[in-house]
Amino acid sequence: MDDSVADVSEHLDSSDNEEFTPGKVLQDIENAWLNEKFAPEILPHQSELVDCMLEQISHMEENMKKLKKGDIRLAIHKMEIDRIRFVIKSYLRTRLEKIEQYTIHILSEDDKKSPEESYLTPGERKFAKEYLANIETLFRTVALQHMPANFQAFEVDKLTVKPNLNSHVFLRVNKPVQGIIVPGTTNDEIDLTAGAQRLIQYQPIASLVKEGAVQLI
Amino acid sequence: MSLCHSYMPNYFSIDDILSSQERVSCKIEVKLPGLGYLDVSSESPDLQSGTKLDLPHWLAYPMNSRTHPFVSIEVPKIYKEAYREILTADACAVALNKWSCYFYEFGIHLAQYEHSDCNLIQDLLLQAFKSRFRLVMDWAHNTGTDPTVGLQLPILERKLFLTGRKSRCLLISWLKEGGGSIETSEMVANHKKRKRAELEDENT
Amino acid sequence: MFGEKALELIKELERSAEGIPPFNDDGIRQVLEEMRILCQANFDDIENPTTDPPNYSSVRVRHMAISRNKRCILAYLYNRLQKIRQMRWEFGSILPPEIKSLLSEPEVQWFTSYSKALATYMRSIGDNYGLNLATDVTPPKSLYIEVRCLVDYGKLDLEDGEVIFLKKNSQYLLPRAECEGLVRQGVLQHVTS
Repeated sequence: MDDSVADVSEHLDSSDNEEFTPGKVLQDIENAWLNEKFAPEILPHQSELVDCMLEQISHMEENMKKLKKGDIRLAIHKMEIDRIRFVIKSYLRTRLEKIEQYTIHILSEDDKKSPEESYLTPGERKFAKEYLANIETLFRTVALQHMPANFQAFEVDKLTVKPNLNSHVFLRVNKPVQGIIVPGTTNDEIDLTAGAQRLIQYQPIASLVKEGAVQLI
Repeated sequence: MSLCHSYMPNYFSIDDILSSQERVSCKIEVKLPGLGYLDVSSESPDLQSGTKLDLPHWLAYPMNSRTHPFVSIEVPKIYKEAYREILTADACAVALNKWSCYFYEFGIHLAQYEHSDCNLIQDLLLQAFKSRFRLVMDWAHNTGTDPTVGLQLPILERKLFLTGRKSRCLLISWLKEGGGSIETSEMVANHKKRKRAELEDENT
Repeated sequence: MFGEKALELIKELERSAEGIPPFNDDGIRQVLEEMRILCQANFDDIENPTTDPPNYSSVRVRHMAISRNKRCILAYLYNRLQKIRQMRWEFGSILPPEIKSLLSEPEVQWFTSYSKALATYMRSIGDNYGLNLATDVTPPKSLYIEVRCLVDYGKLDLEDGEVIFLKKNSQYLLPRAECEGLVRQGVLQHVTS
């Protein structure tokens, strides 16, 4: 899939440098998508990749307008764009579901970070805040304001829903890592060798996913 | 929702609310004035110390876990010696949902009490689950299985069974057709089904 | 026993796992009433202790019961919102009237606010490029798919300017991207053979 995109984009878009080829961006987005789909918690956003890919798509669509109706290339390009768009949408949908599911937890974690380190894009953050505010409004209107005075609070601490970081994930190792300790098991350390695949608790490898040392599959 | 969740009870969890409704036998240790109505068999306005009654876990637990507990508790029989032996003998032969639909969840709740019988519960749950898991997985993966067997399982296993069945069906349809077929949304489909049923009701 | 009415609300949700039951206004009112009565009893006990030194054990027990009732009400509302949220993704931003009639007025307002927040977010994606996340829910396999029309739908404008009329029980070969929504809404059925 990435090969043909690289091909397509190559003759549609002439800017071609090593680090940022369309093929590489697409590969990175697919990796981000799989990581996000399988990680129980929300991962740092990848908006540069998403923005870059969407820009590529609009370039491709512009260029396709130049092709005649019925040109076989038209159908191939369109198919390719549809597939890329699906990956991006599925990726963003998964993030949105986590944001809705763990709103209070994600927002409070995010408040501890500087804007540059934030896991959420400004758009996602705005959405999360509105989502929470809407729930609070509904709770207040229907129930809380009718409860006895000392029970009217929207108790943020109690209402927080957290992801289960002890759940298990499948991963493939990109870079070797030594001495992983899985809590609750025997004290044996686990070494990850490059290319290996394994089933493991998410918690001890969470940071490796974020660094890119392992890929969730 | 497409997100996959492993069991993680929270404030809003329906399963957690229902499982904390399971009852624990309690003996009142401190007189509770004005609460006599909780014991239907007595006419006293107060709940006298020494009274025995069943309380839901959500109430029994905070009443029990204090420096001076309001109640002392007794571990439900399904987690005690006699039943533990039945499970150890052959966990797969037991209709666990008849013991309690929330056998695992309630067990986890009970393990928090400070009571000598409670220390063994965690192990009991783990062992029971381990020995029964293969059976549940087998049922889920065998297409010949009667889909209603899930109803014979306690909630935790039932959900696992249904998830297993669903993914088995998805795999088969993917192998056959390569997937990619667009389906009517689940809620829309249910809504239409209901509407059709209503129409049929009106016609008869 | 305390919290019986509240438990009924939760069981009501559990029973209708597939759809959404009508909003139980009366049930909520009864739970709120139980909370009020328990709270009043606590207030009386604190104001006029019957024993010396005062025995607050019953006050604590009632307090636990009020908290439980609160939890059940909020869980009832929250789990309904989860279903209503799902409806936005499956039915779109306009709810069928039969479904709307099952919701309370504040829930309908929540649905509107949720739709609005979602639309704002979707417009902002990709540096304001905008992306409708409610479409493309399955990976595309082909540009055109064969569909069967289940209702007399009427006019459908295609992207290339062509206009077709969708009639009940007729089959069409249509661009996937343009009819996916109608399949999800149950107007068309994807024919795979």
